[in-house]
This record gives sequence, structure tokens and C-alpha cells, in this order.
Amino acid sequence: MGILVDKNSKVIVQGMTGSEGAKHSRAMKDFGTQVVAGVTPGKGGQDFEGWPIYNSVAEAKEKHGANVSIIFVPPAGAADAVLEAAHAGIPLIVLITEGVPTVDMMRAVQEVKQLDAESKAKGGQGVRLIGGNCPGLVTNGQAKVGIMPNRIYEKPGRIGLISRSGTLTYESAKLLNDAGMGTSTTVGIGGDPVIGTTFADVLPMFEADPDTDAVVLIGEIGGADEEAAAEYIAQNMKKPVVAFISGRSAPAGKRMGHAGAIIMGDVGTPESKLAAFKKANVPVADTMPEIIDLVKKALNQ
Amino acid sequence: MKLHEYQGKEVLRQYGVNVQDGKVATTPEEVQAIYKEYGQPVVVKAQVHVGGRGKAGGVKFSSSEEKAVENAKNILGMDIKGLTVNKVLVTKAVDIDAGTEYYVGMIVDRNVQSYTLMASAEGGMEIEEVAAATPEKIIKHRVDPVTGLRPYEAREVAIKAGFKGNLNKIADMMVKMSKAAFERDAVLVEINPLFVDADGTPLALDTKFEIDDNAMYRHKDVAHYRELAAEHPLEIEASEYGFAYVKLDDGNVGVLGNGAGIVMTSLDVVNRAGAKPANFLDIGGGAKADVVYNAVKLVSKDPDVKSIFINIFGGITRADEVAKGVIKALEDGILTKPVRMRIAGTAEDEAKALLNEKNSDLIKMYPTMFEAAEEAAKDANAAGGK
Repeated sequence: MGILVDKNSKVIVQGMTGSEGAKHSRAMKDFGTQVVAGVTPGKGGQDFEGWPIYNSVAEAKEKHGANVSIIFVPPAGAADAVLEAAHAGIPLIVLITEGVPTVDMMRAVQEVKQLDAESKAKGGQGVRLIGGNCPGLVTNGQAKVGIMPNRIYEKPGRIGLISRSGTLTYESAKLLNDAGMGTSTTVGIGGDPVIGTTFADVLPMFEADPDTDAVVLIGEIGGADEEAAAEYIAQNMKKPVVAFISGRSAPAGKRMGHAGAIIMGDVGTPESKLAAFKKANVPVADTMPEIIDLVKKALNQ
Repeated sequence: MKLHEYQGKEVLRQYGVNVQDGKVATTPEEVQAIYKEYGQPVVVKAQVHVGGRGKAGGVKFSSSEEKAVENAKNILGMDIKGLTVNKVLVTKAVDIDAGTEYYVGMIVDRNVQSYTLMASAEGGMEIEEVAAATPEKIIKHRVDPVTGLRPYEAREVAIKAGFKGNLNKIADMMVKMSKAAFERDAVLVEINPLFVDADGTPLALDTKFEIDDNAMYRHKDVAHYRELAAEHPLEIEASEYGFAYVKLDDGNVGVLGNGAGIVMTSLDVVNRAGAKPANFLDIGGGAKADVVYNAVKLVSKDPDVKSIFINIFGGITRADEVAKGVIKALEDGILTKPVRMRIAGTAEDEAKALLNEKNSDLIKMYPTMFEAAEEAAKDANAAGGK
């Protein structure tokens, strides 16, 4: 099973005809994802490597029954692309684009949340945004809606993975594979300050997923998402969670690549995150390979 | 992009904020001329992108023309936390005792997924100090990103914070600050002190303003505010290559990798190995040999760097491309410092074959990031790095 996406997900690609969109559409197809169509305003009616291209998300959704959209639109139009998908009634929107202005994201995230609440109030399935500046998500052996390397996610495993970082997600998935455990679903939530889905949003899905036995959470400095996750785990989770925090030696006030990875004053320090996880009895790995030892230990208890 | 005080004031003035007048000078003679023009005591303020200017002696009240010139001579050229002062802002001095100093600011707050407005009656102090000592004295309020701050909300916050004076005028200043924040894509904006005079009228005495780098494409009119001289030369070169690069103090190991997360972790691993990272450098995904070559070239130029740790987890990035870039740097004579690499993933074996063929002591591959970092740390510390 896994969470959020599976072999029945019907995926459209906003920005399919751009170089990144094209490359990753092919890779997703190779993985086995049902990529059904592309959306590029102005190119509607064209055929792109066998995929039909539409001018709007609404049209693509209507023709193909799409229920997931992945966005590769450049930064200046990315938030607008999110809103188009949300208003078209796509329940799961994955924003890969890096470098979207924060103010655009504030407005888009707020509107998506309002649409989500309205949809749920009417008995609909809601609207969820993942990202931006994220690698996307993948349920092993079923569907990849993202940009991660395929071969690490082919074999189904039973560990859920959530991460703010792209490459560390690949690295931890490979470590879990090599240790014979493997991942169920991997969700990259993104490295920007304002994102659609946080750790605390994903944790309940893994808690409810019968194919996930434990969760690995890859956090980093900046913000208080890890602290919120720790509180959620302490109060609500029965499945074990193992954490890792990247950037523990980073100096305050310097932005470490990710716009969200910055210590400002007392907010976002590794000390605060370590203390929160300790309080929640969540073991924190000092190194990536230690994640494996801690997961094994947690599963044996 | 961080703005200087005088630049932030220019932006806020565009939005109608009542900002204290001042003029920028780069020489003591210019400061003297400004004093003559104002004909009253002034404050000479260093324009540098660091906090704590006052404590470092970069802000001086000047009661006479002679004092103003003397202060200008001392402040211009002064080093504040590693940055040289090239410009001062000269403002008319205000009798602080004849009014009250408050604080207002807005910051991108990921916890509320919008801006948080902060207000405090403890003006004139660094807000971090107030937050540490008396957090209850800071009133916080989420600003709706669609409506922006509205006057009634601003009044509510001002009242809660205990502001005295003309509430409508103070709230109006806060609303204008909010408009500037949204329209100019601020990461942070502060008016501190917000001075309220005996008549109750607010005046912005000092400001901080930082613009979201991702939004600079729509603020071309203020792009000239960026001062290359105020940045590290390697950071300027890195931005030309399109790298995410941060120069770190007191380091001796150059670090580069593919992805912000992996580079952050690489810094942690270098620290753990007993050395200090000299930089953060993310080459991005899918880098070809020429990108790696430029990255190695950039890091090698840093005199602090005694060895280089390359950490790649190859998915889209191919290990053999990384190896080719490093080898070319060696062949061109650019690479003179030991490179210790961990390249896992795609085309790992091809990379190994290329390096074996080259057979140079300067470039070595290790199976794990720890081994590579440890070797790099050993090399750097042996070379007498800091």
C-alpha cells in the first residue's frame, strides 16, 4: 500500500515540455508511474513523446481522470501553477520547482488549505500540496511522482521516510535497502521556509499505513518543524520513529543552500531539535549509517 | 539580499513611512559638508551588513562639526566583524529623552506559513536580546498573506504592546511597513527604534531590510543596492557559476557535494573528523565534468583550504563526470591540494577506473563519507591549517 501515491495514481505533469519536465516524465514512466498527460499553456493539442499536451489542468483532469499533478514550471509561474491545479480539483499536487518567492508560497499555501477545508466540508477528499523545492514522493515498486533515482526505490520495504533534503533522502533509502529493510513510501517535503506539507502532516499517514513498520525522519537546522513533529510523535504515535538532523555544525545566520536552513536567533538550532526528540523518546542518529542501527533496535523492541 | 540602513530607509520611504532624513558619505570631508548643511548635532552611522554596529563603535553621536569629522575618520575604514566600513549614514540627532522608542518588525515565519508581525515597547535594543530576557514583552501576530496587515490589527497589536502616542499614525506606519514587506518580498523588515515624539508622531530612526533572493527578478530597480565589495570575493565568483556557496570562518577543509542536505551533513562530518569546513558548496544535481571543474577551481582558490572533501551521492549525477572534472583540474595545474572523495552511486566503477589510471596521490576515492572526511581532515591539519 504505502501512502499518498500507488500504482493507480494518474499523474499529469505541469511543465512537461520543458527540459526538466521532459526528463523526469520519462523517468517516472520508466519507474512504472501512470503518467497520463502533460500541461503546457499554449501547446495544447500537441503530442509529446506519446503524451497528449493540454492548455489547462482542468482539461487534462477531465480527459484522463488525473488525481495527481507534478509541477516543473519555472519559479515565477510556479505558485500560479499550484493554484490552477488546486482549483481544478487535483487532490495531490507536488511542486518540484526550486527558487519560488516566499511571498508567492505564503499565498498559495494558504489558498490550498482553504480549498482543502472546503472540499472536506463537502465530503470531498481535500487538496494537499507537497513542496516546493522538494524531490517529490515515491511508493516503492508502485509509483514515483518525483525526481529521485529510480533504482533505489524499486523493491518494496517497510520503512517510511520523510525528509527536508533531496540527496539525503536517496542516501538513507539506499542505506535501508543495503541493510535489507527498504522503504515503503518516501516523502520529500522540501527545503523552503513555506511548504505545503510538514513532517507532522505526514506522520499520521505512516502511523495508519499497514505496510509501514517504522519511520525515518531526516530533518535539518532552521524552523521548528522537527519540534512540532516530536510533539506529535510523543502524543500520537505507536510506531517507532528514528530521526537525523543535518547541519548540526552550521553557524547561525548563514543560509545553508536551502532557504529554510538557517538559524535565526534561538529559532532552528540543532540543540532545540535534539532536546525535542529526546523528550519525545525519539532516538537521533549522529551519522547516517547509525540510522540503520537505531531502526533495527527500535523494531526489535 | 541584505540592504544597508540607508537603502532600507529609501524603500520604506517609497511606501510613505515617515523615515528620519540622512545622507550617505564615503569621506570625512563629505560628512563635514553634511554637518554644515544640517547645522545641528548629527549621528554618524556605519553602513555594514552586520548587527551590533553600535556596540562595535560604529554609531557615534557628534555634537560639533569637529566631532563629526573625527567620528567619520574613525568609523570609515573600521573593521566590524570582518567587514570594512566604506560608507556612513549621517542623520540629524534626535533627543531620545523627549520621546519613546519602540520596536516593530515583520519576519517570514515558517511556523505560521506567513509573516509574523512583532511589536515591543522595548525599542532600541536588539530584538533577540528582548526575546531572550523578556519574551513576554514581544507581541506577535500572524499577518494574512492575502489581505496584508490591516489598520485595526496594527492598532490592536500596538495597544497590546503598550505603545503610547498617536495610535492611528503609529498603526499607519505599521501598515505601510507591511505593504513594503509584501510588495518588496522582504525576508525581514524592522523599524527599530520606532521613535514617538512628545506630540505622539512616529518616526523610523533605524531600519533593517532583507529581500528574498528568489524574488530579486521582480525588483530590478533595487538590484544596484547589491554591493559586491560587501561580499566575499569567492561568494561573488560562486554566484557567477550559479553555485550555492557560503564561505565559513576559521575552516581548513574545502567541502563540495551535490545537494544542500548532503553538503550540510558533509560539514558535520568534517567537524566530527577534527577539522573545520572552510565553505559550503552545492554543485546541484546532474553536474557534468565542467561544473565539477569550476567547483574545484573555486574551492582551490581559497587560501584557507588545505584539502578538499568531495561528497557525492550519484543519482542523476554521474561519478565518472565528477572524476573527469577533478582530473582535468589536476592536469590544468589548478588542483594543488589533496582531494578526498566519496562518490557513491551511478558510474562509480568507471570513476574508480579513471582515477586508478591517473594514479595521483592528490586524488583519492574512499568507500564512505567518513573515511574521505577523515583523510581530508588529516591532510588539512597536517598542512598547518587553522
